[in-house]
Amino acid sequence: MFSLAPTDYDAIRLSLQVSITATLLSLPFGFAVAYLITFAKFRGKMLLEVLVNLPLTLPPVVIGYFLLLLLGKHGWLGSLLNEAGIRLIFTLKAAVIASAVVGFPLLVRSLRIGMEGIDPLLINASRTLGARWHDTLLTVILPLSGPGLLAGSSLMFARSLGEFGATIIVAGNIPGVTQTIPLAIYEYSSSPANEMMALSLCLVSVAISMIVLFLHEMMSKKMARRD
Amino acid sequence: MNTMITKAATVLCLLLLATPVFAGEVNLSVAASLKEVLNELSDSFAKTHPGVKFFKNYGASGALAKQIENGAPSDVFISANLEWMDYLKNKKLVDSSIVTFTFNTLVFAGAPGKASSMQDLLKLERIAIGSPKSVPAGEYVTEALKKAGMDKQLEKKLVMAKDVRECLMYAERGEVDGAFVYKTDALLAKQAKILFSVPQALYSKVTYPMALTVAGAKNKDAAAFFAYLQGEEAKPVLLKYGFATR
Amino acid sequence: MQLSMTVKKSFGTFNLSADMKVSGDRIGIFGASGSGKSTLVNMLAGLLQPDSGEIVLGGDTLFSSTRGINLRPEQRRISMVFQQHGLFPHLSVKNNLLYGFKRCPAEHRTIDFDTLVAVLKLGTLLERSITNLSGGEKQRVALGRAIMANPRLLLMDEPLSALDDTLRFQIIPYLKSVSERFGIPYLFISHSLVEMRLMTDSALLIESGQIVEQTTSEQLARIRMGQSPVGYINLLELSDMTERDGMCAYRWKGIEVLLSAQNRETTSGLFELSSKDIILFKKHPEAISARNLLECRVSSLFESGRKLGVELECGEGSLVAEIVPEAALELGIKAGVTIHAAFKASAFRRLSKSDGDTINNG
Repeated sequence: MFSLAPTDYDAIRLSLQVSITATLLSLPFGFAVAYLITFAKFRGKMLLEVLVNLPLTLPPVVIGYFLLLLLGKHGWLGSLLNEAGIRLIFTLKAAVIASAVVGFPLLVRSLRIGMEGIDPLLINASRTLGARWHDTLLTVILPLSGPGLLAGSSLMFARSLGEFGATIIVAGNIPGVTQTIPLAIYEYSSSPANEMMALSLCLVSVAISMIVLFLHEMMSKKMARRD
Repeated sequence: MNTMITKAATVLCLLLLATPVFAGEVNLSVAASLKEVLNELSDSFAKTHPGVKFFKNYGASGALAKQIENGAPSDVFISANLEWMDYLKNKKLVDSSIVTFTFNTLVFAGAPGKASSMQDLLKLERIAIGSPKSVPAGEYVTEALKKAGMDKQLEKKLVMAKDVRECLMYAERGEVDGAFVYKTDALLAKQAKILFSVPQALYSKVTYPMALTVAGAKNKDAAAFFAYLQGEEAKPVLLKYGFATR
Repeated sequence: MQLSMTVKKSFGTFNLSADMKVSGDRIGIFGASGSGKSTLVNMLAGLLQPDSGEIVLGGDTLFSSTRGINLRPEQRRISMVFQQHGLFPHLSVKNNLLYGFKRCPAEHRTIDFDTLVAVLKLGTLLERSITNLSGGEKQRVALGRAIMANPRLLLMDEPLSALDDTLRFQIIPYLKSVSERFGIPYLFISHSLVEMRLMTDSALLIESGQIVEQTTSEQLARIRMGQSPVGYINLLELSDMTERDGMCAYRWKGIEVLLSAQNRETTSGLFELSSKDIILFKKHPEAISARNLLECRVSSLFESGRKLGVELECGEGSLVAEIVPEAALELGIKAGVTIHAAFKASAFRRLSKSDGDTINNG
């Protein structure tokens, strides 16, 4: 029978919370980076592109480990934060950071495709009509990036929902606090019995992912139709 | 051409499916806390029994039980609590040779000064325990917290580890305030220190049952090793690492 | 408007080296595709940076490689109308029109929106999205948008090339009237000599990245006559059509000309007649199949390539005919002689219908 424990509901809530937060936080940065890569010319652009795409090719546990080195109590950045009284490891914030890092390349990729589809003529027109680069960015590029933004956000959101490797290392498995759906299922998977509960949670996970991916496909089609 | 492909496919399938049992292989599924003990004991046994090769799988007893249930090769199973041994017994995956291997106690380890008693735990922010769904150490802790009436209050502070060693690692790294581990694990720690012992009244005695699996019973090397573990040579090693024999 | 541009730019195998100094309010740049016209204009607008050189407009230096000056496009106050309209798809017609206006410094916001809308006949389109507009409507909006920004120079880069013929010649009156009405000088780029002659007074000829000729637009058409497959296009404004004997009779400069019956829908309009379609006779022929035979006076001759252009005065109008030098000798054609010019009724091609505003309005 389909059954969910109270901690499972927590897991669903936390998964949604982390994914939404990670996506929203990444949007401005993703937009800025996509803009730079698409429109700006500068030395070291290729390096930026490689760095942005790096999390896509690294195993998530490697990303998690590096984040731990960076943000842990004795870490490079972490020790400073610790003195300011801010702790990140084993908190929901760490789960958000892990999802944000892992999903960032997907967001930028979609945004880039959207921006590259903008007719350069429109940008030229905007400039000759007196708009400075930031004006053009806000009044022409941003509105026309809409579909790219939505496609990228939904893809990133879907990826965040499934984030495990980096999350378990930096956020840990704390039921009710950081235990997202993948972590909950992992815990179930080590334990005999509990098969029905694990399966129920898996089904919920699949359902959420499918809804999000449908949205993504619809957005992508809208982008393609525009051309 | 078609027959060639069929032949190649058949050979490939046979290669993949065949799990040859070579003489002298012994598969061990052992609770994580017994890692050092079993490493030493298996090494000494191998010295006097050349030709025997050990494949060791250390982990949470519940996880190990599930693996054995799902067909993972295993000749000898040592669990950190009775529950998981009974689980396999009920599934008829271990034979009737169940004996008790050793005993242990539960302690709380962490950086010095963090806590000195169970009550102090309420002041802490993050406490690591093995996941009670599959780690006996975690199950004992849950039992103790419930008996002490503290389980609800500590609910959101517990970081779940996949086995007791991961628990210890969290404590060592300092990302948690402390961890519930076995005394024997704490003795191996470098940074974390034993802050207090969990009162025995709060939890069932930590007992390590061990048995030959149904497959293991047919493996004479496994049976010999099983006997060795119950013999006089094993006891000093256990004591050395802080395990109790009674 | 005074413009001087001395610039160099290299792209791989293409080298542009332009040196020009023009003054006037209606200037054309004529050249084939790939000749460098768009490159030149993009450098003027600031969208492309020259490798070296100087651009000075009305006394202000827009670019100078020696002095390290390079004004950004938004600082130059030069608007453009592109071949592909370049309208913002996410803004309404009205907001497209006002885009440049809003970004204009206050002291330059002198163009009256309502007047512009009336002149360009955009009143009914204001609240619409630009996606459903026709090609002609889009170009009118693009023109309006460029004008509203009150530029000191309007650049039009082949603005009519993407439109079909009828539309093209309907828009030309708008282009001219708007610029005159609001006092905005323009630079008009095209590969069509007819458009050039209708839109501009003087023109530059650009070939393979070099400016090879700078003269009046009419003169340019004569220079190009010899190498053009269509010769020199005579533009005739015909009116008062009446049907007669199955043909259409029009009045042109006090003369009657006959066109084929398929023109019966057009009471008046602008028509083309190629210099290649005019045949000259020394003596009045006894009878010819062509329905048009005029007695003209030769006013002058000019050379163009391997051909000779003959300027004819017929009634109050003038035509250019194209002949080979040998024919001139044979017929004894020289300035001052009387000659007979014949052309078929079917040789005419209609450029545009007039429905009230003739081409010479405004």
